[in-house]
Amino acid sequence: MTAASLVVNEIKGYHRFIKFLILLVAVAAVASMARFVFGLGPTTNLNDTYPWGLWISFDVVTAVPLAAGAFTLGAIVHCFHIKKLEPLVRPAIVTGFLGYSLVCIGLLLDLGQPHKGWHVMRYWNLHSPMFEVSMCVMAYTTVLLLEFLSPVTEKFGWYLPMRVLRWLEMPLVILAAAISTLHQSSLGTFFLIAVDKLHNLWYNPLLPLLFWVSAICSGMCIIIVEATACHKWMGQPNEGVLLRTLAKTLPWTLALYIALRVYSLLVLSNGPFFDQPVLTLLFGLELGFGFILPFFMFTQQSVRNDDRRRVIAALLVVFGLILNRFNVSMFGMMDPNQIYYPSLIESLVTIGIIAAHILFFVLIAKYFPIFEHHPETVDYSLPDRFRKIDGGKGSEETVPVVGQPVAETND
Amino acid sequence: MTNHWIDIKHADVIMCIGSNPAENHPISFKYVEEAMDNGAKLISVDPRYTRTSSKSDTYAQLRPGTDIAFIGGMINYILNNDLIHKEYVVNYTNAAFLINEKYDFNDGLFSGYDSDDFKYSKDTWAYQTDKDGKQLRDDTLQHPRSVYQLLKKHYSRYTPEKVCEITGTAIQDYMEVIRTFTATGKAGKAATIMYAMGTTQHTYGTQNVRSYAMMQLLLGNIGIAGGGINALRGEANVQGSTDYAILYHILPGYLKSPTYDNKSLATYNEKWTPKSTDAQSANWWSNTPKYMTSLLKAYWGDAATEKNDFCYDYLPKRSGNYSFIPLMERLQGGGFEGLVCMGTNPIVGGPDAGSIANGLDSLKWMVAADLWETETSVFWRRPGVDPKTIDTEVFLLPAASSVEKEGSISNSGRWAQWRYKAVNPPGHAESDAFIVDQWVKNLKKMYAKDGEFPAPITDLDWNYGNGHEPDIDMVARECNGQFTRDIRIKGKLYKKGQQVPSFAFLQADGSTTSGNWLYCNSYTEKGNMMQRRGQEDPTGMGFYHNWAWCWPVNRRVLYNRASVDMNGKPWNPNKPIISWNKLTRKWEGDVPDGGWVPMSEDGTKSPFIMLPEGYGRLYAGGLADGPFPEHYEPMESPVNNLMTSQQSNPAVAIPGKIGDVANYPYVGTTYRVSEHWQAGAMTRNLPWLVELVPDMFVEISEGLAEWKNLKNGDMVTVTTERGKIEARALVTSRIKPLRVQGKMIEQVGLPWHFGFNGLATGGSANTLTTATGDANTTIPEYKAFLCNIEKGGLPS
Amino acid sequence: MSKVDTSKQKAFLIDMTKCTGCRGCQVACKQWNQLEAEKTEFFSGEGYQNPPAMSEYTFTRIKFRDYQKNGQNEFAFYKEMCMHCEDPACASVCPVGAFEKTAEGPVVYKADRCIGCRFCMIACPFGVPKYEWSKGLPLVKKCTGCYERVVEGLQPACATACPTAITYGNRDEMIKIAEERLAKHPDKYIHKVYGKEEAGGTSVIYLTSLPFDELGFKPVTLRPLPGYTWQALRMVPAAFLTVGGGLSALSWITHRKDRLKKEREEEAATAGEPKEDK
Ligand SMILES: Nc1nc2c(c(=O)[nH]1)N[C@H]1C(S)=C(S)[C@@H](COP(=O)(O)OP(=O)(O)OC[C@H]3O[C@@H](n4cnc5c(=O)[nH]c(N)nc54)[C@H](O)[C@@H]3O)O[C@H]1N2
Ligand SMILES: Nc1nc2c(c(=O)[nH]1)N[C@H]1C(S)=C(S)[C@@H](COP(=O)(O)OP(=O)(O)OC[C@H]3O[C@@H](n4cnc5c(=O)[nH]c(N)nc54)[C@H](O)[C@@H]3O)O[C@H]1N2
Ligand code: SF4
Ligand code: SF4
Ligand code: SF4
Ligand code: SF4
Ligand code: SF4
Ligand SMILES: [Mo]
Repeated sequence: MTAASLVVNEIKGYHRFIKFLILLVAVAAVASMARFVFGLGPTTNLNDTYPWGLWISFDVVTAVPLAAGAFTLGAIVHCFHIKKLEPLVRPAIVTGFLGYSLVCIGLLLDLGQPHKGWHVMRYWNLHSPMFEVSMCVMAYTTVLLLEFLSPVTEKFGWYLPMRVLRWLEMPLVILAAAISTLHQSSLGTFFLIAVDKLHNLWYNPLLPLLFWVSAICSGMCIIIVEATACHKWMGQPNEGVLLRTLAKTLPWTLALYIALRVYSLLVLSNGPFFDQPVLTLLFGLELGFGFILPFFMFTQQSVRNDDRRRVIAALLVVFGLILNRFNVSMFGMMDPNQIYYPSLIESLVTIGIIAAHILFFVLIAKYFPIFEHHPETVDYSLPDRFRKIDGGKGSEETVPVVGQPVAETND
Repeated sequence: MTNHWIDIKHADVIMCIGSNPAENHPISFKYVEEAMDNGAKLISVDPRYTRTSSKSDTYAQLRPGTDIAFIGGMINYILNNDLIHKEYVVNYTNAAFLINEKYDFNDGLFSGYDSDDFKYSKDTWAYQTDKDGKQLRDDTLQHPRSVYQLLKKHYSRYTPEKVCEITGTAIQDYMEVIRTFTATGKAGKAATIMYAMGTTQHTYGTQNVRSYAMMQLLLGNIGIAGGGINALRGEANVQGSTDYAILYHILPGYLKSPTYDNKSLATYNEKWTPKSTDAQSANWWSNTPKYMTSLLKAYWGDAATEKNDFCYDYLPKRSGNYSFIPLMERLQGGGFEGLVCMGTNPIVGGPDAGSIANGLDSLKWMVAADLWETETSVFWRRPGVDPKTIDTEVFLLPAASSVEKEGSISNSGRWAQWRYKAVNPPGHAESDAFIVDQWVKNLKKMYAKDGEFPAPITDLDWNYGNGHEPDIDMVARECNGQFTRDIRIKGKLYKKGQQVPSFAFLQADGSTTSGNWLYCNSYTEKGNMMQRRGQEDPTGMGFYHNWAWCWPVNRRVLYNRASVDMNGKPWNPNKPIISWNKLTRKWEGDVPDGGWVPMSEDGTKSPFIMLPEGYGRLYAGGLADGPFPEHYEPMESPVNNLMTSQQSNPAVAIPGKIGDVANYPYVGTTYRVSEHWQAGAMTRNLPWLVELVPDMFVEISEGLAEWKNLKNGDMVTVTTERGKIEARALVTSRIKPLRVQGKMIEQVGLPWHFGFNGLATGGSANTLTTATGDANTTIPEYKAFLCNIEKGGLPS
Repeated sequence: MSKVDTSKQKAFLIDMTKCTGCRGCQVACKQWNQLEAEKTEFFSGEGYQNPPAMSEYTFTRIKFRDYQKNGQNEFAFYKEMCMHCEDPACASVCPVGAFEKTAEGPVVYKADRCIGCRFCMIACPFGVPKYEWSKGLPLVKKCTGCYERVVEGLQPACATACPTAITYGNRDEMIKIAEERLAKHPDKYIHKVYGKEEAGGTSVIYLTSLPFDELGFKPVTLRPLPGYTWQALRMVPAAFLTVGGGLSALSWITHRKDRLKKEREEEAATAGEPKEDK
C-alpha cells in the first residue's frame, strides 16, 4: 500500500511529457491485449497476402538496426580504443537494451504462439535465418542486459557483480559486436528467400552485408541524435566534441554502403528496376535523401561541427535506414492491387513501443548513472577492487541508498 | 444408354449434345478423356459454353430448342454426300421399307392431323405390306416410297444455311461438326452421342432423341463399340426407377400399364403384344403375356390363378394422362385431398413452380419423406404467404439416404449394382423400404377391417420378413422371379421355389413369378448377381461381365448384333463387341442380342429384336408427333418457324400463360451446375457446397450487360409470363447472343437449384418455366422460354 | 538441405487439359481435413470461382479463368495447392523446423513446434501456408499432402475424388508420364512440365494447354529457394569468428599500448619520478 502510494506520488511528480508517454504505453498495452483476445485477424490488417506488417517491419526489422548504436560504439570505444567517446557508451547500451527488449516484446505480440517462443532453443534449424536472428537477439539482449547491469550495480553499489561485470566488459563488447554482425546481416538474409517477391531494386545477394553496414551507419547516427536530444531536452552536457569525432567516421561508412549498394544494383541484380513509379520514388528517397545526401553533408567539416546540421544529417540517415527497411520488408513486396496499411491497433502498439522506449530511457536516466560515466571518472585498469574516482558530475546522486555495504566500498 | 459408361472410351468422335457431362456426369469424363487420349474428337453442342465445351475440340452454339434443325442438316449432308454406312443401313435399318402411299408431309404437318385435339391418326404412317402382312422393301433404296427416299426428301429442306439461320450456329462451326461427325460413317469408325436434358426437355424432346438415333443408324453407329446413343441418366437410380415403373404409363420392365378398355388379361395381351409376320423377326415383345402373368404372380402370389385372370382385375386401369403436368394442374384445381412427396421437391423442380405451390394450399394433408426439410414440405411458409391461411396438415418423415441402407442401384449403363449400408441413418430416419413396408402392412390391416374393395390390398403377396427393415434380399429375389411349381422347361426340371435363370424361362401359365422380367437373371440360383465384383476383363473391351449385373441378361451393349457384318465379323475387328466363331459356331465377346446365327445364314433373326419388324427405325410410325423429326419452335419462341408455317409442335396443345417476344425479348434456358444437386435440398444444406455456389445467378452475355448497364454480380430481376425472380448477373463471354434470321437474339441461362428454404436460398428458376411438355412423354419444356431482365432485385 | 531418398517419393501429376473444374477435389479436401466452409457471396473470381483464395479453411482451390482469346472462349481451371517442394523454402526458413519434407513426398507441418512467426508464409514462393487469423493463438495451415493417407498406402483425398485430372504416384514415374503426354500430343500442350524444375523441383507437377501465366501461375525461380539464404547463412560461423577474432586482436593491440604506457607510468612512479599529469 505504501509502496504503491510511493510510486503514485513519484509518478505524479513527472513531467507532462512523461505522463503522456505513460498513457501511450498503457493504451498500447490494452491494444496488445486485444490482439490476444480477438486474434491477429480482426485486430491487425495482416492477412495471408501480408503475413508481416508494421510490427515486423518496424518493431523488428527497423528497431534492431536502430539499436545498433550500442555495439558500434562499444566496438569503437573499446576495441578501436577511442576512449574519449566513452561517455556515449552507456546511453547507447541503455538504448540498445531497451531497443532489443522491446523488439522481443514486439515479437511476442506478433508470434502466433508466443508461449512457444522458447522452442527456438529446443528445435534448432541452422538453415533458418529466423533461428539465427532469434538466437542472436536472445544472446545479444542478455549481453546488453549484462552491460546495462553495470550502472545498476553501480547504483546499488553491489560490489561483487560489479567486479565480475567489469571483468567481463571486454569479452562482452566483442561478443556484442560479433553477435550483432550476425543478426543485423541475417535480418537481410530473411529477404533473400523472397526471390520472386521482393522488387529488383532491393533484392540482391548482398542484402545481408548491406543490412549490416547500414545498421552501423544508422547506429552511429542514432547516437548523434540521442546525445543531441539528451542535451537539448534532458539537460545533459553537450557532447558536441565527441559527436564530431564520431561524425568523422560516417563519410567512410556511408561511402562504403553507397558503393556496395550501387555495385549490387549494377552488377548483381536483374532488371526491370523502374517499372513501378511508386517504388522508384521510394528507392530514390531512400538512397538519395537517406544515404547520398547525408554522405555529402558529413564530408563537410562545417556540418560535422555544427550541432544542428550534424543532427539533421544523422536524422537523414536514420530516415534512410527506416525507409530502407520498410522498402525491403514491406513496400518492395507489395501487390499494387492489394495495399497493406497498418490497422489502428497495430499503429497504437508500435507507437506505444516507441513511447515505451523513450519513457524507459528517460526513467532509467533519471534513476541510474548512465550519463555520469566519463572516462576521467573511471579507472580502466582492471582493479583489485572497484573504486569510483570522485569528481564525476552528479556523483552525489549515485550515493547508495539502501542495504549497501558501506565499509567495503569506502575502504 | 445403348452402350455403357466405360464403352465411351472406344469412340472416335464423341458428341455431347443437350448434355453437359463434365458438370453433371463428372465421372463419365474419365472415359471421354480416355477416348481423347487415343485421338478421339470431342464435340460440344450447347447454347452455352460449358465446362464440357471447354474440353471440346469443336464447340457449336445453338439456340435452345433447335436440335432437330441442327441434326436435320447433318442428316441432309450425310445423304447428299452419300456418307451412310450402306451395308448397315440396308441390312439393319428400315431404310428399304416402303411406306403407305397415303403418308404425306405438308408444311409442317404429317398426314392424319386433327387440329381439334392436337392429335394424329397414324393409319397413313404404316409400312406397305404384301398380302401375307410381310413388309415390302426395296434394297436398292431407290423406290420413291422407300423410307430412304422419303427421308432424303424430308431433310433436303435442311440446308446448312437454313439450319444456321434457325439455330444461330456459326456456319463454320456447324460445318466442322458435320465433317467431324459424319466421318464415322465407315466401318471401323465410331461416334457416340451423349445426351440428356438439353435434348429431352422440349415439346419435341422425343423427336430430338430420335433425330440423334436416326443419324447414328445412317452412320452405322448403333450397337458398335464406342457408338450408340447414350442417355446420361439423372437421379442416381433413375434408371432403376424407370425400369421399375416410376412412370404412370408403364409397369415394371416397360410393360404397358393397362388402359380402361383392357378389360381382361386377354384383351390386355391382345392390345399390347406386338405381332410380326416376318419369320426373321424375333419380336421380343411377343413375350408380353409371359412377363405380364409373371408380374401378376409376383404381386398377388397364390391368390393369382389362371381362373381369376391372375388378379388382373386388381390392377388400376388408366383413362387419361397422369404425368406430372396434368397432375399438377389437377392439384391446382383442388383435385386432391392429400399428397405424398417421397424424395421429390416439386415446388422447386416442377415447371411453373409458383402455380404448383399455390396448388398445395388446397391440400388437407401432405406426407413428405425426405432427407431434408424441402421447400415443398414447408410450402406453407413460402415468401408472400401467411401460414395462418393454410390448413394443410404436413408430416415430414425423415428418410435414410442411399448410403444408410442396402439395395441395388441401376446406373445409366443399365448396370444394377448392389450397395451395402455404410452407416446407420441418423435420428429417427428410416429407409424408404421401411416406410413403404409399414405403410402396406398397416393398409392391409385397415383394409381387412373395413376396406372398400379390399382384395387388391389384402391379397398382396407382401412377405419380406418380420424384421424392422423389410428383407431387401427377398425383394431382390422376387424381382428376379421364382418357379411356383415344379416344371420342366427345355428338358430341364426346375423345382418350386427355385430362382428363374432368365426371362427366357418365364411362363404365361402362372408357373413363374417375376417382379420385373428385365431383371430376371439378376438373382439366380447362383446368388445375387448384382453383388458381383469381379474385375476381370478378358476381352480388354471393358465389359466386366463379372462386375455386378446388367440388364438384359448381363448384355453390356444393346443391339450388339448390329456391330458385325452379315457373316458375323465385327465391322471394326480391333474393337469387337461380339464376333461369330465359325468353328465353334458360337458368338464370342459380349452376350449377343439373341444367340441366333449371323444374318447371312438360315435361321437368323434381325438385330433389333425389340422392334416387331426387327430393323432400326429411321422412320417410326408409332410416335405422337410424326414418323420423322421435324423442326418446330419451342412453345415460347422469339422467332417464327423458318421451316414451315407450323409454329410449335402440332401434337402439343398450346397452354395458357404464354408470353410473347414483345414483352419478353430474351431466350431463357435452365440447367445444372456441378456444385448443386437438383432442387437443392441435398446440396444447399451442405456448407462445403454452398461455399462454392452460394446464391442464385443468371448468366448473361457481355453485350446484354452493357445494354442493361449491368456489372458482374449486380442484382437483376428475371420475368416471364409465369412469374419473376431475382438473381445475380454473371456476365460472361461464355454466353453469346445468336444470329437468328438476321436478328441478334440474346439468351440467358439460369441454374434451377435454388429455393427459399435451407442454408443457401435464392429464387427458383422454375417460377419462370412453362408448364407444357413433350408430345410423347410430357417431360416439361424446361429448356426454352422467353423472359425479360431488368436491373435491380425484387422490391422487398 | 538434406537430400531425401527420392525412390519412395510420390507426386501429383495434374493435367489441366483434363481438369473439368468439377471441384470434387476442393470438397474432398475439406471433408478429409474437416475444414470449415467459408462464407461466400456470388463468386469471387472468374467463372464460378470460390472462395477468393486458399486460406486456413481452404487447402486447395480451383482457380477459374473465363475469358476470350482470338475470339474463342477459354474456360480453364487450375488447381492450387501446396507444391510439396523437393527442397522447401518453408522448411528451410522455419526457426523451429516445424516443416519437414518427408521421404514419401508430402511436406508436413508439426503444429506442436510452430511458434507462429509466419516466416514460412513469406518464404513460400507459391503463397501456400495460411494462418488462422481468427484465433488468439494461431497456427499455420496448409495442404498436408494427405500424409496420413499416403503412409497408409492410400492416395490423397483430392486425387481420389478427381475423376480425370490428377494422377498420383512415384515422382519419376509422374514426370515420365507427363513427358510422354507432351510427346504424344505436342499440339495440345504448352511444352513444359511445370514443377519438374520450378523452385528446384516440386512434388506437384502440372501440364496445361494455356500459357502458365494466363492461368495465374506465378513466375518462380528454378533454383531451390533455401540456397538463396543458405549462401549467406553458411558464412555465419566465419563472420562470427572474423568479427570476434578481429576485434579481440584489435583490442589486444590497442589496449596493449595503454597497458604498456601504464606500466611505464607505474615504473616511473615507483622510481620516484614526478607524476605526469597528462
Ligand atoms: N451436379 C449435378 N449433376 C447432375 C444433376 C444435378 O442436379 N447436379 N442432376 C442429374 C439429373 S436428374 C439429370 S436429368 C442430369 C441432367 O444432365 P444434363 O442434361 O447434362 O443437365 P442440364 O444442365 O439441365 O442440361 C444440359 C445442357 O443442355 C443445354 N441445353 C439447353 N437447351 C438446349 C437445347 O435446346 N439443345 C441442346 N443441345 N442443349 C441445350 C444446357 O445449356 C445445358 O448445358 O444430370 C444429373 N446430374
Ligand atoms: N427448370 C428446370 N427444372 C427441372 C429440370 C431442369 O433441367 N430445369 N430438371 C428436371 C429433372 S431432370 C428432374 S430429375 C427433376 C427432379 O426433381 P426432384 O426429384 O423434385 O428434385 P430432387 O431435388 O432431386 O428431389 C429429390 C429429393 O429426394 C431426397 N432424397 C434423397 N435421397 C433420398 C432417399 O433415399 N429417400 C427419400 N425419401 N428421399 C431422398 C432429397 O433430399 C431431395 O429433396 O427436376 C426437374 N426440374
Ligand atoms: S455425383 Fe455420384 S453419380 Fe454423379 S458423377 Fe459423382 S460419383 Fe457419379
Ligand atoms: S509450396 Fe510452399 S508451403 Fe509448399 S512445400 Fe513448397 S515452400 Fe513449402
Ligand atoms: S510460422 Fe510456424 S511453421 Fe511457419 S516459419 Fe514460423 S514457426 Fe515455422
Ligand atoms: S493432398 Fe490432401 S490436404 Fe492436400 S489438397 Fe489434396 S486433399 Fe487437400
Ligand atoms: S477433381 Fe479433378 S477434374 Fe475436378 S476440379 Fe479437381 S482437379 Fe479438376
Ligand atoms: Mo433428371
